[in-house]
Amino acid sequence: MAIAIHIETVSRRFGDVLALDRVSLDIEAGEFFTLLGSSGSGKSTLLKSIGGFDRPDSGRILFNGVDVTDHPANRRPVNTVFQDLALFPHMSVAQNVGYGLRVQRVGKAALERRVAEALALVDLAGFGERDVNLLSGGQRQRVALARALIMEPGVLLLDEPLTGLDERLREQMRDEFGRLHRRTGATFVLVTHNHDEALTLSGRMAVMHQGRIEQVGTPRQFFDAPANAFVARFVGIEALLTPNSVDPGGHVVIAGQRLPVTGPAIPGALVAIRPDRLSLTHMAEGDTPVTLTIAEIKFRGLHSDIHARFADGQEVIVPAPVDMAASLAPGDPLHLWLGQKGAILVAPHTIPVP
Amino acid sequence: MTRFEGSANLALIWTIAVVGLVVIYAPPFYLVAISLNPALQPGLPSLSDLSLIWYFKLASERGLLAALTQSALVAALTALIATGLSLLAALGHQELRQGRSAWFMTVILPMFVPGVIQGLALSVIFTRIGIKPSVLTVTAGHLLWAMPFAFIVILTSMSGVRRSWLLAAADLGAGWGRRFFDVTLPLILPGLISALLFAFLLSLNEFARAFYLVGRQNTLPIEMFGKMNSGANPTIYALSGAIFAVSILCVGLIVARQARLR
Repeated sequence: MAIAIHIETVSRRFGDVLALDRVSLDIEAGEFFTLLGSSGSGKSTLLKSIGGFDRPDSGRILFNGVDVTDHPANRRPVNTVFQDLALFPHMSVAQNVGYGLRVQRVGKAALERRVAEALALVDLAGFGERDVNLLSGGQRQRVALARALIMEPGVLLLDEPLTGLDERLREQMRDEFGRLHRRTGATFVLVTHNHDEALTLSGRMAVMHQGRIEQVGTPRQFFDAPANAFVARFVGIEALLTPNSVDPGGHVVIAGQRLPVTGPAIPGALVAIRPDRLSLTHMAEGDTPVTLTIAEIKFRGLHSDIHARFADGQEVIVPAPVDMAASLAPGDPLHLWLGQKGAILVAPHTIPVP
Repeated sequence: MTRFEGSANLALIWTIAVVGLVVIYAPPFYLVAISLNPALQPGLPSLSDLSLIWYFKLASERGLLAALTQSALVAALTALIATGLSLLAALGHQELRQGRSAWFMTVILPMFVPGVIQGLALSVIFTRIGIKPSVLTVTAGHLLWAMPFAFIVILTSMSGVRRSWLLAAADLGAGWGRRFFDVTLPLILPGLISALLFAFLLSLNEFARAFYLVGRQNTLPIEMFGKMNSGANPTIYALSGAIFAVSILCVGLIVARQARLR
């Protein structure tokens, strides 16, 4: 049964570092939730607190309303896929997968049947007798998943499980997580520093920074209304521009060009330009024309990145088809269209952005 | 195969290796050769009169045999207790955070105390509190000697046990005991066996501490030392030869076993 997690003002200090600073969060039963953040943001500490590997200094953690703060890891209905997978090197694939059931003293026949089912679930049917040390990276991932899922956990924790895999495998395993989430219906909590992973997989996600949660919401909400400049950059909005002036009527002026914006006019606000709403072609009624100067064109393989500047030197990057980019040169003017709600006012973030 | 060295260097390396091996192995082999000489005076036997006579005489050397038994008993006790205690010490070391290096140094320290001093100190204390010298007093002295080594050997093998394996076992529901028996123990078993062997040999060899702590029955090194001083009887060469042969046999068995496993 999927479990709802309630985290209540949880704090954790390691020496001088406040890894978690009064974090409160609700994760709904059965959702795919991602904790996104750079290293040292506290995301792993939060995951460990949910798993029972680390006890918070203060605050409570509730599973379906039951306080589990003091329950050790081996008595929580939670299973984890560790960052280094942590497959037992002295056990075969089947022994690894069946370990949790052996601890529960499940009978031999039931054990064998469930191990076979778990291996089939992750597409490793027939791999039971293999040596885990001789498997490929992707197969090891699947063994670790099967070992956790065989326990039918209410919550599955995924601690940066895709780091260290090559791009193709990463994408393949990403799809696998989505599929297994739908199959098992368990609450999945993923920790990652990769915003692509977070955006493709999560129902909802939280961006963490220096022990605090900066924003919680669906992936779309992060683009429609990023909470601040840090969050905007973390989810992939690179262009954060400083306006000359902000009209209360929903417009800003950047280097003499007037652009419509959404979002609250906070003092010192920056303008986040959504890359998906900045286009070389006129897309829809209400698009605003913007004229910039090309600073640099970088070949990226399947497309080229055009670095274009406002008159005051602030830069945005626009992807363009390679052939089209080839007909342009640095110094040329570039006519762009800013789509509806393509520019968003966001609060500045005093903490330096990575 | 890649060769990194020039021929001159290679020749030098081989020369050093061969000279080193000869220096190490010639004396014990010389001892074995003497033991095969039927004459009373130690010397290399001529090939025509090789004899096992001293080996047969060994059977009637009650003093030596009793000392050998005593040594084996002390060594076995030392090996078992040292390995057991070191295992606990190493498990403690694994759990510690701040006091880690202090704990390490504390366990290792007896290694650096000279044997004569340790033996004397123990002997004085045992006399003071009225403990009679016996197998157990020698074993106590040998424990101080062997335990630091056993500890280091076990600690080394334990460093191969990743923390995440223990976390994973806990994650899958295993309590402390199951984590130890299912994960730690199988992975450090080779280390435990090494520690046992190491402690056994260290004890078998030990003289200084045993000298102060033996009861009525001498251990082998002390008995042999006494025999040498009172005019060498060739049977002690035979005993040396026999122990040497057993050592080689043991190493041979280990090598054969590893070859079979591979």
